[in-house]
Amino acid sequence: MEMAHEHHGGNLQRPEVARYQGVNTLPAVLTAPDAVGVWRVRAAIVAVVFALISLVFLFVPLGREHLLRAYLMGYMTCFNFCGGALAFLMVQYVSGGKWGDILRRPLEAMTRTIWALVVMLLPILFLMKHLYQWAAFPNKAATLQAFKQGLMTQEQQLTANSKHTMLNPTAAVVQAAIVLGFMALVITLLNRWSVQRDQDSDAGTLASYDRWRIRFENLSGPSILVYVVMMTAFVIVFVKSLDVTWYSSVYGLQFLVAQGYAVLALGMLTLILLSRYEPIKTMFRVTELHDLGKLTFAFVMLNIYLTFAEFLIIWSGNVPDEIPWYLHRIHGGWWMICTLDVVCHWLIPFCILLSRDFKRSKHKMIWLCVFMLFARLVDMFWLIEPNFKDAASNLHIRGNVGILAYVTVPVAVVAVWMVIYLTELMKRPLINVNDPHTEELLEPEHAH
Amino acid sequence: MPPREGIYGLLAEFNTPSELVHATEMAHREGYRRMECYTPYPVEEAAEALRFHKTRVPLMCLLGGLAGLTTGFLLETWINVWGYPLNLRAMPLFSWPAFVIPEYEMTILFAGLSTAFGMIAQNGLPQLYHPLFNAPNFASGATSDKFFLCLESHDPRFDRAQTRQFLEQFSPVSVVEVDH
Repeated sequence: MEMAHEHHGGNLQRPEVARYQGVNTLPAVLTAPDAVGVWRVRAAIVAVVFALISLVFLFVPLGREHLLRAYLMGYMTCFNFCGGALAFLMVQYVSGGKWGDILRRPLEAMTRTIWALVVMLLPILFLMKHLYQWAAFPNKAATLQAFKQGLMTQEQQLTANSKHTMLNPTAAVVQAAIVLGFMALVITLLNRWSVQRDQDSDAGTLASYDRWRIRFENLSGPSILVYVVMMTAFVIVFVKSLDVTWYSSVYGLQFLVAQGYAVLALGMLTLILLSRYEPIKTMFRVTELHDLGKLTFAFVMLNIYLTFAEFLIIWSGNVPDEIPWYLHRIHGGWWMICTLDVVCHWLIPFCILLSRDFKRSKHKMIWLCVFMLFARLVDMFWLIEPNFKDAASNLHIRGNVGILAYVTVPVAVVAVWMVIYLTELMKRPLINVNDPHTEELLEPEHAH
Repeated sequence: MPPREGIYGLLAEFNTPSELVHATEMAHREGYRRMECYTPYPVEEAAEALRFHKTRVPLMCLLGGLAGLTTGFLLETWINVWGYPLNLRAMPLFSWPAFVIPEYEMTILFAGLSTAFGMIAQNGLPQLYHPLFNAPNFASGATSDKFFLCLESHDPRFDRAQTRQFLEQFSPVSVVEVDH
């Protein structure tokens, strides 16, 4: 090289910069950095501390009821991470795209928490008669008795009878088994193939790319449809049926969008934090961060669209069957939570994500992601708590300290889930190497 | 105003966006400022290499949107409360949930129109003549598969011989002089 410099020194200015610098090279070590282990310890500490604080609620008025409700809220938040990750994993297999390649291993790690979710559902299944009217009064005789004792309104009694086929303890267990079983099957296949794909002896050839792409597409395409139907049934049974009288045709879709919202926030947060270390430092370009930011913006918009459209239709109809669901969530102090939900879940992320510079800043996006995860909890609280008689149209804390369980329990449950997620994240290289997009991620940003 | 006599600038043709961005970055470091990139599709990094100043189009979009929102809200409120008050299902006259959709549509409409017209106004369009079309390779390549960097002659650093030498070190496909 020195020889060459002597030869050209006079004619060319700065030959070393004039030469175009080629592609980045794939980092030698692709496994998760040690920092993930540190995060896992922190998550475990948070889980233990918040679980211990939650124990206090065993001894306060209405504490036990609220512990169970708050546990349901924490569980559904984790279910949304796992289910949303599965949905995104399947969508990125059928759509392709570099955003999907960089996000793939975190998504896979989120989906592999499915077995933990099966176990975490058990308390809800065993204690369901304390949460759901249809489980407490599981047949016609019981609902009639409950109506006579004033435990159910006549409308609740009659609707519970008519929805009995779907909403009864046996049906709930069967539906949970089918839904989680289906998810576990698809998750297992997608995760197994993903490892086999990297170990393929033809790795890096067009034939290998095509074979795996088609295989993933064939499983993912139909499974997306089946998953949407199944998760709709799951959220109807375990969340919507808390109010047995209400009907909604968009409930499943709203949850699906909320899953996308939560998973994008968590996925971006994971990638940004990982990008302080190799290998994600080299692989995670601003272009993909920007793309994920735009996708998040779409989900923020879709979420308010579905939520507000449903409200507007029910408000216009003003039918006694439907309107109480909203009245319970607006009157008696709930107006504050309702407004907070709209502001945190939509207004703030919407206004912030309008900015291109914000979407391209790793630093700033960290805070937005954390805020969006917080907004998910506010939204879930607003969906769950007003279903219960003591809380409908009556948000109060005096004589009702138990409601604070909604602060501690979901944090503990999500922290436990995070420990499992981070454990899974450490098990595999963070980059899928036998994918044509991986090479594209190594290109400089301007090579479109 | 650029001088009318002499040449408009030197136009370098590249095969890839990476080479273009690199050359642009180097030209900026050399002190060239009066320059422009021409690509068949948006190459954001070229805009960055040019230190392309932030445009006012996003601001126009935002202001248009806010104006649309306000217009929609005032229009709906005036119609329902004062203009043509109708008792619909015994709802209050000022029923804001019903106003949201027209407000939303007005926001989109105003934001879209102000963005489009704002962009056209700031682009300097309509422009009926541009000297670059005097370069035959430009007319055929700029909209299909070639990437061009033009260093313009009214840049203080521009010198016909030196600038050509500077551009040639990036191994472009060609460097041509563009007439006015």
